[in-house]
Amino acid sequence: MKNLTQEELDLLQAEEAETKEEIAKLLAPTAIKIKNVTVSFKSKKGLYTALQDISLDIKKGEIISLIGHSGCGKSTLMNTISGMVNPTSGEVIANEQVVKGPGPDRGIVFQNYSLLPWLTVFQNIYEAIDSSFKNISKEEKKAIVEKNLKMVNLWEHQHKLPGHLSGGMKQRVAIARAFAINPKILLLDEPFGALDALTKSAMHIELLKLWNLDNRDKTIVMVTHDIEEAIFLSDRVVVLNNGPASTIKEIVDIPLERPRNKKEIVHHPKYKEIHDKLLSLLIDKFSISDY
Amino acid sequence: MKNTFIKNTIGQIVSFAASMLLLCLIWQGITILTESEIPGPVATWQVAKEMFAEPFYDYGPNDKGIGLQLTASLWRVFLGFSIGSLIAIPLGILMGSSKFIMRLFDPIVQILRPVSPLAWFPLGLLAFKAAAGATIFIITITSLWPTLINTSFGVAHIPQDHKNVSKAFGFSKFKYLTKILIPYTLPHMITGLRLSIGIAWMVIVAGEMLSGGSGIGFFVWDSWNGLSLEKILVAILIIGSVGLLLDKFFNTLKMAFAWENK
Repeated sequence: MKNLTQEELDLLQAEEAETKEEIAKLLAPTAIKIKNVTVSFKSKKGLYTALQDISLDIKKGEIISLIGHSGCGKSTLMNTISGMVNPTSGEVIANEQVVKGPGPDRGIVFQNYSLLPWLTVFQNIYEAIDSSFKNISKEEKKAIVEKNLKMVNLWEHQHKLPGHLSGGMKQRVAIARAFAINPKILLLDEPFGALDALTKSAMHIELLKLWNLDNRDKTIVMVTHDIEEAIFLSDRVVVLNNGPASTIKEIVDIPLERPRNKKEIVHHPKYKEIHDKLLSLLIDKFSISDY
Repeated sequence: MKNTFIKNTIGQIVSFAASMLLLCLIWQGITILTESEIPGPVATWQVAKEMFAEPFYDYGPNDKGIGLQLTASLWRVFLGFSIGSLIAIPLGILMGSSKFIMRLFDPIVQILRPVSPLAWFPLGLLAFKAAAGATIFIITITSLWPTLINTSFGVAHIPQDHKNVSKAFGFSKFKYLTKILIPYTLPHMITGLRLSIGIAWMVIVAGEMLSGGSGIGFFVWDSWNGLSLEKILVAILIIGSVGLLLDKFFNTLKMAFAWENK
């Protein structure tokens, strides 16, 4: 050690710091552990197996997309994390606890917003907070609603009923509601599926903004069938096989640096590569009959 | 906006007046055809004026003013309907929430529902040892069904989306009831109440004819015995108008609670 010059020391330290960062990333605690999960439903034709023996680890702060054809069980897989569906065998561990049902540590944004139509925007969020935080005062709860509605720029619409909002606005309320209960894990079920392309793009950025504001601490799992959306948002994309008895076909890493820029990212050579790979993973089934 | 509102209101008043005029014309026609066996609008109007001049007189048990008879009937309907609704709404919620309870109660409802209210009257007499109790009893029984069926239908059809919200955010039972179940079911429930009150108001006339003593039904029967057809016709118009008002009231209530229209 004594023989090293200052320059060499600096270099070593820099390298050490870099490795530390990498190690930290590798050692980041697992937020969600899916262990050998099989889900079967009873149907009229007998037992229908939706998911077959799926295992997946998701790290804290990761953004994961589940992608696959409709009916492949991606929503079912996400619902085993949320606790809305119980696995037939295997288990899901979220935040170091076996998932037995829904809980306030996991916020859900539903496919069709699922706002209660008779409650105003404010009340929709307030009731969720009221159920999740038992030990704080009314004023504190109201303050949380205000903070979250301002975050999605809907504070001035707080008195409106959901029926008077556009699709994008409803989705922002649904996202604000999920964020308001401050969950460690955020589960999004085709959250932007019903939105037009422009609104969708804006919502992607809103979502990442919220994630950044929170020091990228929240783990996000998103179901989608939109490849571009999956690449832009995720750290990893999980491609599922077609059902019944879906399994994981492949997990694709998205090593694009953050913050990502919507306009620039598409010109990134890696982007094209990933895009092509995902596309071929999804459409190989049709390539024969197409010609 | 204001102009169209005024125009609409005037239009409604004019068409209502025209409708009443048509009714009087048909009525007069029947009077002419029956050679004044059935009194015409003018003769009826003369009697009505006398009746409305002193509606609340009370000359003993068999001679009361029309206002007193009407309030007696309304009070009975209110009592019977309230008791019926207080049974029907909670039971309807239970039946809608649980398939087991639905299967348990549905056959009973299906068997009892088509029974004529009058068939219940002797049982009521036996149970309450009084005609007044029996009348309220048959109102209660007959006003149960529409509310019960509509409430259970509403509760059974709460969309899965709303239930998911409750599940995902861990709503308490009470919060589920007050923020999801009741708001969603309320329009169904009020429709049921509206049908129920309509039936109750029809049944009260028959009930009071049987029970006697007081009430608009008794008044009709008593007028028949006194051979005053004009009084019967006035009573029919009053029964009709009150029924219309009750219906309008529940319709307004439904509009006020229907979140879809907001």
